[in-house]
Amino acid sequence: MKKHSKIWVSVIPLYIFTLIFVAGPLIYMIALSFMTRAEVFGVVGEFTLDNYKKIFEPIYLKTFAESLKLAFTSTILIILLGYPYGYFMAKLSSVWKKRMMALLMIPFWTSALIRLYGWIIIFRSNGVLDSVLMGLGITKDPLKLLYTYPAVVVGMVYALLPFMILSVYSSAEKMDWSLVEAARDLGASPMKAFLTVTLKLTLPGLLSGVVLTFVPSMGLFFIADILGGNKVVLVGSIIQEQLTKGRNWPFAAALSVVLMIMTSLIIGIYRKVTNTKDLEGLF
Amino acid sequence: MKFKKVLALLLCIAMVCSLSACQSGEKKELNLFTWDGMFPQEVLDAFEKDTGIRINYSNFDYDEDMLSKLSEAEGGDYDLVIADDYIIELAIQQGLVQKLDKSKLSNFSNVNSLYQGQFYDPSDEYTVPYGAGIPLIIYDPALVNLDIKGYSDLWDPSLKDSVAIIGNYRVIDGIALKTMGESFNTQDLDQIQAAGDKLMELAPNIRLINDNNTQDYIISGEASVAFMYTSQITMALAERPDLKVVYPEEGLGFGIMAGFIPSKAPSSDAAHQFLNYILQPEVSAQCFEYIGYYCTNKAAEPYISEEMHDLIVVPDTVTEGEAIQNISQEAEDLHGKIWTEFKDACN
Repeated sequence: MKKHSKIWVSVIPLYIFTLIFVAGPLIYMIALSFMTRAEVFGVVGEFTLDNYKKIFEPIYLKTFAESLKLAFTSTILIILLGYPYGYFMAKLSSVWKKRMMALLMIPFWTSALIRLYGWIIIFRSNGVLDSVLMGLGITKDPLKLLYTYPAVVVGMVYALLPFMILSVYSSAEKMDWSLVEAARDLGASPMKAFLTVTLKLTLPGLLSGVVLTFVPSMGLFFIADILGGNKVVLVGSIIQEQLTKGRNWPFAAALSVVLMIMTSLIIGIYRKVTNTKDLEGLF
Repeated sequence: MKFKKVLALLLCIAMVCSLSACQSGEKKELNLFTWDGMFPQEVLDAFEKDTGIRINYSNFDYDEDMLSKLSEAEGGDYDLVIADDYIIELAIQQGLVQKLDKSKLSNFSNVNSLYQGQFYDPSDEYTVPYGAGIPLIIYDPALVNLDIKGYSDLWDPSLKDSVAIIGNYRVIDGIALKTMGESFNTQDLDQIQAAGDKLMELAPNIRLINDNNTQDYIISGEASVAFMYTSQITMALAERPDLKVVYPEEGLGFGIMAGFIPSKAPSSDAAHQFLNYILQPEVSAQCFEYIGYYCTNKAAEPYISEEMHDLIVVPDTVTEGEAIQNISQEAEDLHGKIWTEFKDACN
């Protein structure tokens, strides 16, 4: 009995933490989304559904569709690049594993914003990329690459790739490679062994990578601002704009609630479709 | 060993305590709240030295952030705020601003009357103007085969994918209104919608939209035309004197920045002292040369250096400008929606 109560006490900080930093803001946001904006500034506690109705205006629906499209495109590219990276990293000797890990982590020592500005130098007209391409005679005129959709996709992939690599790596690292050997011994082709054994066993890592990249890529509006010249409108940009210049907090809250519901649904669908219960510690 | 660690820890705590004691001991402090980089360091240092008042400079990025912090603090915490005209109107309406004690502002008469009696403070009771902005067009004559005279020239098909603009939707939607002969501040939803439709036709010409450092794009040649704020125009010209500035013929939009003292300022006395200090002609000239906004201090004009004079002293031809004011929620919402549609069309 005594032992039991002690455990209960040690869990209290966790409850308090969750209450203050997770449940509190969430409830505040949901409540805010049903309120009316004040005439001058702030909100008044009058119940309304208008904030949600407004989301159904074509332009806002389109923004959601655009955000989803960008998130899908970048996630697919991140899988194509990140999965092989994480997979082969797990097969390296332990010294090289450490070195590769260091290479992955070092960029994080610099602010993401500064690293994105690096891409501007590469992409801008007569920038690094243009000089190389024109020097090699591949293109004649400077390409206007900066402030285009592809530039935003590159920024997203660049910013989120490490998360995919790390989750694939952590599940590939734990994998029992003798199972692949067994499959090969029993006559499976390398491809079949990969699909039936390796992929199955690293799927939780892949999926947690997807969650870690897909969800943020819906909201990383500053990448769209910096590399897209503000021309790619994401839900995140509207939320930010409504909170600041638009002074419409309830509408921003309603957009956030819908965005949250949407991402939860998509994660649910991922889990259903792939039939994974365990998302490498995420769920 | 353990004792040494404890001792070290105690010493650390003692040091921190003595430091904070030292701070609280000195009562004279000015909590200045404005954007980053609004004063040259020399002016701040000289004020601290002359008066013994320590300046505690905190900054915000958006006017709206300032207002939400100020209303959370119920008009306290800050002694002096410098922000944009339209947000000051809201702050005054919310009772967050105190009236100035003009007897403490012997230099108040130095203010240029062109910037006084404005909508946010019709009888100049609450604010001291500190810089004015007029968004203007600037272009690179080497890259543009067009004699740009006004906003409507931005729609010219020859400027495809080459215009950089600021991200302020009231201003950008406003120039579409201006090309149709309307006011920046119209509340007529049909007019705003018509301007919105016209704005969509501008979309193919937009290279990028950015509120910050818009001058970089015209300096580097990423854009050949830009429509941007005064301070950005000044910076672009400093770097590239070959660029041409246009005062659009359809009419100018005014933005005025002003300082005010919050209703429960901990030390309104220090705030008055500081306001009076920066109103001195020489100091004021130094400030305006630094921030690169139009000088709102008439007495300071003779002290502005020759190379800066044309840039920050409003030309005599400018006798009026339309300040962008707060409008009804419906109109504001429509502007916001048009803006989202416009950005989307630019992509």
